[in-house]
Amino acid sequence: MRELIEYIARSIVTAPDEVKVTEEPSGEWIVLKLEVAQEDKGRVIGKQGRVAQAMRTLLRVAAVREGTRAMLEIV
Amino acid sequence: MGIGAEDALVRVTPLSHPEKDAASIAREVLEELLSRMKIPATVELQVGEESTINLEVVGDDLGILIGRRGQTLYSIQFIVRLIVAHRLREMVPISIDVEGYRKRRREALRELALRMAEQVRTSGQSVTLEPMPPDERRTLHLVLADMPDITTISVGEGEARKVTIIPKGRT
Repeated sequence: MRELIEYIARSIVTAPDEVKVTEEPSGEWIVLKLEVAQEDKGRVIGKQGRVAQAMRTLLRVAAVREGTRAMLEIV
Repeated sequence: MGIGAEDALVRVTPLSHPEKDAASIAREVLEELLSRMKIPATVELQVGEESTINLEVVGDDLGILIGRRGQTLYSIQFIVRLIVAHRLREMVPISIDVEGYRKRRREALRELALRMAEQVRTSGQSVTLEPMPPDERRTLHLVLADMPDITTISVGEGEARKVTIIPKGRT
């Protein structure tokens, strides 16, 4: 799941080296925290949050495949 | 500079066909995404007559990639387009299908459009269809474009946008 979000984020930002994703368990959930350079924040969120929403949709698939549930936070 | 210099030899390499490059990049991006989503599937590049890059995901039990009303499929397509556009610094038309879902959906929409148009014509009442993504609305508008006594419009915002079929003369 982390690799998925990392791959997407690194592929759409201007500072891929500053992309950091951490995974933390929280009860039955896994919380993924995505950190990017300040100027790239808009890129991973997108207009009306469309990029973030699409990433969450794909993350849900990855989570199902791994038999868990995941949440994405952009910090 | 220039004095006594020999004539310069310049080797010109023609740029490879841009669409072919974009297609292989798009395919590679989709494969990378699928493998990170733990979906065992292969990606086929469909050669079409249009300039759109058509990618088809082939594998077993891929319903999870389509999602409710094709939502997941649209998200995948959106992300692939975004990544390819970022790499190539330009928007490239890419269409992704999973196990012929879009094709089947297009057929179903065509039938629905004709049925609803008939209903509007006989009843004289407008009909509003359920919310649909842009390309599905486009299919409906195109199917009904030539019908003489009805018009179609899209109403609503964003994901709630839907097609309304209106009898002509009542717009």
